[in-house]
Amino acid sequence: MSRELDDARRAGAESAAVRAVRVLLLLLPILAAAMALGLTSGGQPISLTAALHGIEPDSTILRSLRLPRVLLAAEVGAALSLAGVALQALLRNPLADPFVFGLSGGAALGSALVAVIAPAAAASAASLLGLVPQQVAACAGAFGAAVMVFTLGRVRGQLNPERALLLGVVFNSFASAVVIAAQALLRPERTQQMLLWLSGTLGYETPPVLIAAGLAVMLPLAALTALAGRLNLLALGDEEATSLGVDVGQTRALSFLAASIAVGASVALTGLVGFVGLVVPHAVRMLTGPDHRVLLPASALGGAIFLVLADAAARMLFRAVGAEPPVGAVTALIGAPLFVLLLRRRA
Amino acid sequence: MSDRGKPDGTRGSAIRALSLVSPATAATLLSLREVAFRHPGSPAGAPEAVKSVTLSVRAGEIVGLCGPNAAGKSTLARLACGLLRADAGSIELGGALLESLTLRARAKQVAFLGQQSFSELPFTGREVALMGRAPHLGLWSLEAKGDRAHAEAALAELDVLHLADRRVSQMSGGERQRIFLARAFAQDAALSVLDEPTVALDLAHQVLLVNALRSRARAGKGALLVLHDLSLAAAACDRLALVVDGRILAEGTPADVLVPALLEQAYGTAVDVVRDPATGLPMVTPRVQR
Repeated sequence: MSRELDDARRAGAESAAVRAVRVLLLLLPILAAAMALGLTSGGQPISLTAALHGIEPDSTILRSLRLPRVLLAAEVGAALSLAGVALQALLRNPLADPFVFGLSGGAALGSALVAVIAPAAAASAASLLGLVPQQVAACAGAFGAAVMVFTLGRVRGQLNPERALLLGVVFNSFASAVVIAAQALLRPERTQQMLLWLSGTLGYETPPVLIAAGLAVMLPLAALTALAGRLNLLALGDEEATSLGVDVGQTRALSFLAASIAVGASVALTGLVGFVGLVVPHAVRMLTGPDHRVLLPASALGGAIFLVLADAAARMLFRAVGAEPPVGAVTALIGAPLFVLLLRRRA
Repeated sequence: MSDRGKPDGTRGSAIRALSLVSPATAATLLSLREVAFRHPGSPAGAPEAVKSVTLSVRAGEIVGLCGPNAAGKSTLARLACGLLRADAGSIELGGALLESLTLRARAKQVAFLGQQSFSELPFTGREVALMGRAPHLGLWSLEAKGDRAHAEAALAELDVLHLADRRVSQMSGGERQRIFLARAFAQDAALSVLDEPTVALDLAHQVLLVNALRSRARAGKGALLVLHDLSLAAAACDRLALVVDGRILAEGTPADVLVPALLEQAYGTAVDVVRDPATGLPMVTPRVQR
């Protein structure tokens, strides 16, 4: 409590830019350490120094297996955390999360639809061009879900968080059911793979795909950070924010779009990795306070750290039984109890 | 704050006599001319929420909107800030047509505070007060030292500086309201439009708010307040407008407006109006059967 107070006091005394730089300087080395851990841990432990000196098989494992996977984890973690922060600001509620609010389900629906309708495009997903329709469909699906939850979740012009939350959860189940049913009907041999994707799995992507995913993180990060001051003002309510000069409708549309791009790109690659957008902003807020000018960039780094570590944990903890749970299972194991804790604390 | 203990009325009249800005010659901050408004989506035959209202607030003046529930007071307040768009008539802020001003330009002219509904995100009192500086910030919306000083002064003015580092979500309704008022004051706009600002405030803090508004009025600022407590309105405001069914039934000094015949017509209930022996200000007491 006293630390929170200290942080808050500092929040008043220092420029947001100074605080943002300080927390980024704190988080960058942690991200580096997490990535080093992610690169060296796994079914076959490797030495980072040996790999960097070109000693086989360490070098090949590092370059073609570990590095793509760790980069993907970092990108998806950052994207989902950004989307979480944006949704929490828009819904004015720390319980918002792309998974809980149905954005992930919408993205899965869009992505799977392309895979089913145009399997040729999905089959060549390893190439950048083949990935584009699926990613775009995923982003559109996420945006559609966001608009739906936001529209149906309103009662007399005011968003009701509980209602939006129920809608999101129900829509997620619905989307998963549709995806599974479509797969079972059209390509039964891939159903198992689809189930794994729906629970959130990090695969091994090619460099062009990783670059595209990187853009899908940087673009929303830049857009949302530019909107950060306005996202702060939304806390006061729509009318008060408007009276302070914020175009609330435009800010909301741009933020939903940015969040949808981040979620769509992530889901198209890894499926439904849940609760990252809930856990990470919550933890980062304890460090930075709720000011979005600091919280947004810090959460991007925090999300990268979190998912790299969750992926490493999935690979290490279950090595003894020779299995590897999907990373979505690990994030849900951490996120679901936290969600309940947050829900209880509000009451 | 030093005169919080004194009886309310004496200070009011003394301050009014001291007022540096003469309302008769002062610049007009807000002017509504024959403004009409119908809530979008209301049934075709439904009456307009606001019907041909003409009203102004000059620099150094505190104007109160009183009247029964659903008479259109809050709607008028929102029209005045541009939060709702009038269907007919014209609204000017500081001499310029409201529609011709950008949201940001409006935000420098008029501060608005409506009913409480705050985010559950853990913002502190200081952070909320600083939000009032938003219209004055540059491209990167980074506050400078001057902005922080403004926010701090507003928090002190409303007696909540000691709550600056507490989370707004953990405060009581009255504490929270004063933080929100500090946000509106930190905005440093020429005009403050406050919808029921005394709700949730205890007696001492009601007086504190009225005094703060009065001292700002002496510095040439104006205020438009939606108030339900008629005696408080009489003490706080230079002029009152009695709003009934979307129209202004009566407008003038508190002594002109707060008369039994008008009030009984407006509220449909019997009232007594007595004069405060010290100040001569009207005090309204409803006749309750016991």
